[in-house]
Amino acid sequence: MIMFDRRLLVGFGWSLFFMTIAFSCLALLNLYSASYETGLASFKKQLVWVGIGIVSMILISFINYRILKRYSLYIYGLSILLLIYVLFFGKDVSGSSSWIQVGSLGTIQPSEFIKISLILALARFYDNDFQQGPYGFLDLIKPACLVALPLALVMMQPDLGTALTIILISGSIVLFMGVRKHSVAFILIALLALSYPAWNFFLKPYQQDRIKTFLDPSRDPLDAGYNAIQSQIAVGSGRIIGKGFKAGSQSQLRFIPAQQTDFAFSVLAEEWGFLGGIFALLLYFMIILWILDTSGRSRDKFSMLVSFGIAAMFFWHVLVNVGMVVGLLPVTGVPLLIFSYGGSSTLTAFIGIGIVLGIRMRKFSMSAEAIDLR
Amino acid sequence: MQNFKNRLVIVTVILGIAFLVLASRLWYLQVLRGDEFEEFSLDNRIRIERVPAPRGRILDRFGRELVVNRPSFDVYALPDEIQEVEGLSISIAEVLGLEPSVIEEKLISAKKISRFMPVLLAKDINRDQLAYIEARKSTLPGLIVEVNNLRKYPRGKLGASFLGYIGKVSKDELKKNPKINSNDLVGKSGIEKNWQSYLRGEDGFIQNVTDALGRGVDSTLFAKDLTNKKSVSGNDVILTVDIDLQSAAEEALGEEAGSIVALDVNTGEVLALASNPTFNPEDFIKGIDSKTWTELINDKSYPLLNRSTQGVYAPGSVFKVVPVVAGLREGVVDPDTLVNCPGRYKLGRNTFRCWKRDGHGWVNLRLAVVQSCDVYFYKLAEKLGIDRFSEYMKLFGFGSPTGIGIEERAGVSPSREWKLKKFNKPWYRGETVISAIGQGYVGTTPIQIAVMTAAVANGGAILKPNIVRKIKTREGETLVQNSAQVVGTIPLKDDMIAFLQDALIGVVNDPGGTGRRARIEGYTVAGKTGTAQVVSLDYQSDQKIHKDHAWFISYAPAEAPEIAVIVLVEHGGKGGAVAAPLAKQIIEIYKKLKETRDLDDNV
Repeated sequence: MIMFDRRLLVGFGWSLFFMTIAFSCLALLNLYSASYETGLASFKKQLVWVGIGIVSMILISFINYRILKRYSLYIYGLSILLLIYVLFFGKDVSGSSSWIQVGSLGTIQPSEFIKISLILALARFYDNDFQQGPYGFLDLIKPACLVALPLALVMMQPDLGTALTIILISGSIVLFMGVRKHSVAFILIALLALSYPAWNFFLKPYQQDRIKTFLDPSRDPLDAGYNAIQSQIAVGSGRIIGKGFKAGSQSQLRFIPAQQTDFAFSVLAEEWGFLGGIFALLLYFMIILWILDTSGRSRDKFSMLVSFGIAAMFFWHVLVNVGMVVGLLPVTGVPLLIFSYGGSSTLTAFIGIGIVLGIRMRKFSMSAEAIDLR
Repeated sequence: MQNFKNRLVIVTVILGIAFLVLASRLWYLQVLRGDEFEEFSLDNRIRIERVPAPRGRILDRFGRELVVNRPSFDVYALPDEIQEVEGLSISIAEVLGLEPSVIEEKLISAKKISRFMPVLLAKDINRDQLAYIEARKSTLPGLIVEVNNLRKYPRGKLGASFLGYIGKVSKDELKKNPKINSNDLVGKSGIEKNWQSYLRGEDGFIQNVTDALGRGVDSTLFAKDLTNKKSVSGNDVILTVDIDLQSAAEEALGEEAGSIVALDVNTGEVLALASNPTFNPEDFIKGIDSKTWTELINDKSYPLLNRSTQGVYAPGSVFKVVPVVAGLREGVVDPDTLVNCPGRYKLGRNTFRCWKRDGHGWVNLRLAVVQSCDVYFYKLAEKLGIDRFSEYMKLFGFGSPTGIGIEERAGVSPSREWKLKKFNKPWYRGETVISAIGQGYVGTTPIQIAVMTAAVANGGAILKPNIVRKIKTREGETLVQNSAQVVGTIPLKDDMIAFLQDALIGVVNDPGGTGRRARIEGYTVAGKTGTAQVVSLDYQSDQKIHKDHAWFISYAPAEAPEIAVIVLVEHGGKGGAVAAPLAKQIIEIYKKLKETRDLDDNV
């Protein structure tokens, strides 16, 4: 199953691998600064998580993606079970029960892993489906169910940020595969119609607050809007070259809340300025571009869609997170993958990269193996 | 698959645009608006702590302290460092004399705002309380004792009427002077108010770096150029007042309502400025409580009024100095002009009485002054006419503030125009004659009368009185130095001034003089009595009082005058009987003080 073919090593995506390592190092450097005042506890934990992540990435890259395809529904099912588990036995952290305690490393968040499981499940659905051309409304009922199940479970925790990314990632895949025009219209109307009850019955007051505050940040400058304003001050005051390592007053003096997690990018932009911010964005852009390139070189629908889905996952995280940090988007609690402190999201990102690496190094052997398997 | 490849191109374009948007936003925030956000971030972390400047002192002419500062020990609590709110409130409440629940509430409500902002628990604790807290510092974490400045009055109420009081700054004052802090205590009356700009000093500040929770941060990493500014102490105001004489004047007044003014006749310096009743400036040092304040402003005896400069009174016969000068100058009378006083004076249908019912008989000008014959002055004024008369009133400074250096009232110097403007009525001749004896519309403050007296004493120089002698910085640099300032001259030849002076000597020293009770053996006092008829409400019984104001003006020694002493006792009765002995008392003390003191009275 795991094939140590020499061609695999030659075809290994060294550039993606090293870009990912480089980005992790940048993230750790940033976290070192952001957690310095509080005794580096989160830095040390994250160091372990990144280690686990890199090892997982390498190991997963050796798994043939066809095996992933074969087991994708089991993986999906297991993830759903974990989501159900946390609803009942999860650890409550700041109002949402989305965590499972695992030993001394702290907690893991199954809602992060569901993103990968869902991508695999959707890719498998489209791979098995031989339909050509745009999908109609009825054709989409099955993938919609695949999405709706974890979405509902995540919303029940409640974890608005993850729910949003699930919608964005699966929406990207569905749109990429094509949807009939009148079906798009129908779905949009249905969503609008559903938004009213969703706003009133599903969103918690604090979530409504966040959205309202995004629309008008001056509404509540000391509470919810405070985060958005302080983050922009941090970013802006970094100016071109930044305030220097560990010298970001906004972050070191705790004007930015959640500076190690959701607002980690603020710290970078404050301490390393425009140059540092652009460097990180460029690296992220290259990683996504490289994943999309892998998707483009794929010769079967499954691997193409998996790569595309993982690219979408990275893309939406960076857009929503950095958009929030620079005040273009509401404060939603979506982390910047790899960059934000958090074991589960980091591990998810590394697993995603590992899958892409695995797909990339097998593209040369694809046709021969494909014949074999058929 | 080609289909998907095309879609991937579109996706890549979308990706590129999204990153371009994020990068542009970074450009906008960091490059275009970076400096602006840097300002915000500086504002975030830099707290400015004010260092209040100690107010300047107020000293008497010999440098003796009248108003100084004393440290006030104020107790604050740091909510963050207090774990057990309840325990602390009980242990500290007793020693501070507060209810435990009050402290608890303060701490709990403060914790909600910021856990790192100190909360004021008690202001100006006493030595015992301070000793208690200092001794138990280790068992009372989170308690801070801060030292601030409070006003202190080493001489108690002495001189309060002109020293003035301080109070919380008003909104108007804040608008006028943005440098004042809204918690500041500023001068509200007297020297404290009128010389506020010199006394205030300049506040300093300390810039601190604090974190988002308001906690002080030691690090200099987050602020490269913190600026601190030392406070500059307020300047010392050195008065012309001799506190010993002031003390004598206040003692002389005793319980009587009234005023005593002592002037250096050659310089116009105010040596004593007593006003009774007065207030206790100690009540104001922390900002007066509303109960005491209400009592003070509703007190019908007007303790907040400085009678020496703000009390407007009919001067009675002490005013006769003015028509004498006017009459001599205008040639209406000369020293030999004789008038028969039958005890009354008829003018048209009105009859004006002399204070001596039987009349003085034939009197010349000197005798008219010495015995204060009213009829003589009725006749003089009638000849003089109000127009010429009011010119001389103005010449002596009546109807205008003297410029002494604290708040004062202008009083009334009546004239035809004044009456037309004020009452829209013509002037009547009868009003001229009663003006000559200091009745009717004439309204004067004791300080104006003092200026007039000094002018006669010094041979004709009408001086601007000063209560502030010098202003010095704490380091000793002189900022203001007041010297004698002549604002007018009595337009009489020397022999005529000598004649007037001789008449005033006669008032005290002649056998029939009205001011005999001011006579001092071996030291010639000149003077003039006044008894002003008034009708006013008694503040104690709410009944009309017909008892007259007693006036006495004097200067001494007559041969080479040095000091003028003016006494006014409200509703005291006859000037010669009530006011003259008080003037004598002051002059005797002045003489004694001068003998025992080094003659050079420079500070």
